[in-house]
Amino acid sequence: MLTSHSSFQGSRNVSGSSLKSKLFEINWLLPTLVGVVGLVGVVMIFAATDGVWRYGAFQHFTRIAVGGVVMLAVALIDIRLWYRLAYPIYAVGLALLIGVEIVGVEVNGSERWLDLGVIRLQPSEIMKPAIVLALARYYHDLPGHRVSHILGLLGALILLAMPMALILRQPDLGTTLLLGTTGVAIVFLAGVSWRVIGLASLFAAVAIPLFFRFGLQPYQQERILTFMDPTRDPTGASYHIIQSKIALGSGGVHGKGFMRGTQRQGEYVPENRTDFIFTVIGEEFGLIGGLMTMGLYMAVIGVCIWLSMTCKAMFAKLLILGLTTTFALYIFINLGMVMGMAPVVGVPLPLISYGGTVILAVMGGFGLILSAHLHRGVELPRSG
Amino acid sequence: MPQMKSQSKNDKNTITRRTAILGLGGLGVFGALAGRLYQLQVLQAEDYRALSDDNRFNFNMLLPARGEIRDRFGVTLAKNSQNYRVIVIPERASELEKTLDDVSKISSLSESQRERIRKDVKQNPKFVPILVKDNVDWETFSALNIRLHALPGIVSEVGQGRSYPKSGVFSHVLGYIGRAGARDIANDDDPLLRQPTFRIGKTGIEASQEETLRGASGRLKVEVNARGRIVREWPDPETRATPGKDVWLTLDAELQDFAAAQFATEDEGDDSGGICVIDVITGELRTLLSMPTFDANLFVSGLTQSDMDSMNTDPKRPQYNKVVAGGYPPASTFKMAVMLAALESGMINTKGKVFCTGKTELGNRIFHCWKRDGHGLVDMRDALKVSCDSYFYEVSQVIGIDVIANVARRLGLGQSYDISIGGGISGIVPDEAWKLNRFGTGWRTGDTLNASIGQGFVLATPIQLAVMTARIANTIEAVNPNLVIGENLPAFEPLDFDPVHLAFVQDAMWSVTSEIGGTAYRQFPFGTDPEFRGTEMAGKTGTGQVRGISASERASGIRRNEKLPWKLRDHSIFVGYAPFDRPRFAVGTLVEHGGSGAKRAADISRAVLGEALRRDKLGGSEAGALK
Repeated sequence: MLTSHSSFQGSRNVSGSSLKSKLFEINWLLPTLVGVVGLVGVVMIFAATDGVWRYGAFQHFTRIAVGGVVMLAVALIDIRLWYRLAYPIYAVGLALLIGVEIVGVEVNGSERWLDLGVIRLQPSEIMKPAIVLALARYYHDLPGHRVSHILGLLGALILLAMPMALILRQPDLGTTLLLGTTGVAIVFLAGVSWRVIGLASLFAAVAIPLFFRFGLQPYQQERILTFMDPTRDPTGASYHIIQSKIALGSGGVHGKGFMRGTQRQGEYVPENRTDFIFTVIGEEFGLIGGLMTMGLYMAVIGVCIWLSMTCKAMFAKLLILGLTTTFALYIFINLGMVMGMAPVVGVPLPLISYGGTVILAVMGGFGLILSAHLHRGVELPRSG
Repeated sequence: MPQMKSQSKNDKNTITRRTAILGLGGLGVFGALAGRLYQLQVLQAEDYRALSDDNRFNFNMLLPARGEIRDRFGVTLAKNSQNYRVIVIPERASELEKTLDDVSKISSLSESQRERIRKDVKQNPKFVPILVKDNVDWETFSALNIRLHALPGIVSEVGQGRSYPKSGVFSHVLGYIGRAGARDIANDDDPLLRQPTFRIGKTGIEASQEETLRGASGRLKVEVNARGRIVREWPDPETRATPGKDVWLTLDAELQDFAAAQFATEDEGDDSGGICVIDVITGELRTLLSMPTFDANLFVSGLTQSDMDSMNTDPKRPQYNKVVAGGYPPASTFKMAVMLAALESGMINTKGKVFCTGKTELGNRIFHCWKRDGHGLVDMRDALKVSCDSYFYEVSQVIGIDVIANVARRLGLGQSYDISIGGGISGIVPDEAWKLNRFGTGWRTGDTLNASIGQGFVLATPIQLAVMTARIANTIEAVNPNLVIGENLPAFEPLDFDPVHLAFVQDAMWSVTSEIGGTAYRQFPFGTDPEFRGTEMAGKTGTGQVRGISASERASGIRRNEKLPWKLRDHSIFVGYAPFDRPRFAVGTLVEHGGSGAKRAADISRAVLGEALRRDKLGGSEAGALK
């Protein structure tokens, strides 16, 4: 293993010591697209808060800027370090989740926050990149023939199930599902056999109804039932969805114009600065604005997939694709929710919704993606 | 190593393939989301736009300006005035109690007022303005305005109030306005009534002409947010409030003032009573006054307990509308009805004479003439001129009560008139059937004798006396009084008395005021102005026996034993009309406990009639009435 140390150097002989040239080597297309999405967020938060800078737009701008620095810093760190830190980070994330369980701060009826005195932290957000790191490393290390083996599957299942169980207890259904889906996607990408996939699907078909019946809080069940049938409670749970759809639908093709959204001005859509910010885009910029936003997201995802293709190492590929999956799931769940196609589960629209931890987690994730791409020539040890 | 390579290559192929699968899946999800967005924003856009507008707009009610009330010449009797109000918006007042303390320093707030404010604040959303005080005077209002910056949450506002510029003299006629009560709301589904700041007529013209005065509400389209707070207003001329229409009365404000001034006494304040001046041709009321008066403005701004107490304990009962609701024995003014009945009956000759000894015996009862020594021989004309009771005792026994009652009713007694102010009573014209119905006992001749001189059961209001006189003066039509210009009144019915008989009564009434020896004789009743020097009038005096007894009191048999000397004095009554040759106005006046016989009422009547004629001569001033 000692000899392999020298072979860690990139094949294109990237001079790892020169920060300047490393910066130059970063794929700048991705940070640019991420920055543009972040600015869309600044503009829409500005609108959502009636054009008052200090009610969120300014903070969002600052966070995007700070997040950008974090992203680049993470990108510059050698992929081998991230590889080594994969399990420790996962462990820390798990520890923090247990910490929430014990001394968490309750906000809106669920314990998601950890007050560390200086900063308030949402460990479930840290867990999102952490689970990807852990699973990427897990499959990087796992010999190919054991991927579909029962023990190989069990290892991944344990890695995934522990944080999911803790987050579900907070309770935070949205993040739990997001985490689980990301994990399943990584398992899928790692090459689990179709036979296993078929069996797992069968199991899911049986398990999910049971989970709904016994694993969810009444309010979570209510949300899903309301989603299935919005007339169940027009003023309560489905109020969100109805008002959100009114905002989007009344925007039409062209929208009502910047700062002209009446649903927004009337404060009919709750949380339109955070989870429901897409209603402001849809109302004020219409179908055009909505599709352009989605186009931006698709570009980001597309670039990420392309970056994964350029990497050789399994860890790098799975890391990029896993993080991209998380990012995409954020978007899908959020847009599905806002458009009345998915339950109201409280998932933000990444980079656009107001909220600090999410931005840091997402942009940190992009930092990892950039790091994986930057160090694509680096060989990582692989057993088996 | 080669095996590992192939393994690695296999991995790579797998992951690339599976990335493609997931990528396509992701693309599919984006496609589905885009499709959904298309469905919402293009296909269903119209529906959602309508829903958005439903959300967005509320319609606030705009209150109409209430119509004004004017006299026949356009003088304003009731108008909308600036109501200076102080309002607090709780969400802007961080410390409500302290703010109220500060307001108190400028304009005192009682504990009950503060309690009401606290209650209102608690019951309403924080952005709803709560009334602190209204009808604030201008000085206080400006003092508050200067200090507004130091009074967080306090807003000054100029609202619409109601004021009665002629304060007292029209109070009984106009009535007053107030907030709609539960019964008003039950009887009237106009949503305006539910508006807390809206006021409706409670009594008098304000109540009877409510439909005209009220107008119709407008709607203000406002954009509201989810909590009902107004975001902006949408001015839309089509939904403006329709202001109420003005109501013009037949009354003459200056004449009303003049009449009120005549009731003043040197040492006892205003005399109590009522006066009515009526146009003998049209029935239009020129004056309809009950004395003393009260300030209707107090009812709008809210009566204090002391105002209420002083009004309720005043023996002259200022709130009581005596001119239409005060039933008094008409006394000798009833004699015209008896006289006309005698003529109509055909049983009595005008030349027939009665010897008045001062008393008439009926069985074991003695009925007195007001003149102890008697009038000696009097015929019909003289009987009225000197108001000889004995003559009427004799005549009434011959013709009987039913004939008298019939004529009295045709002259307008015993009925209330619809003059739109409410509270009018019908008085009593007794006959055999009435007494049987009322007391269950038979009519006695003594009752007839009492009735023949307008005492006993007979009760009439000042307005009835004026109408009676107007009908006598009119000769042809049964004039009915009216108060509101432009109201469709049924045509007057024919009076249907023999003109010769009426002429005889008129002449007898003329003798009362124009012949030496008449009970109300004056050489120049309307002064010595060249213009009115030759104007003559006709009239009749009456002296009512003690006690101001209302119809209801008498009906229920309650007789208060007032000990006040003022209360024991006779009522002073006078009816008359002028000019005698071309009758224009009739007057009915009653002064409660006016003392000194009929002189007080006669003097007032003469002055007011004269003033009415003088104002009528001014001409041109009828412009208002023509409207």
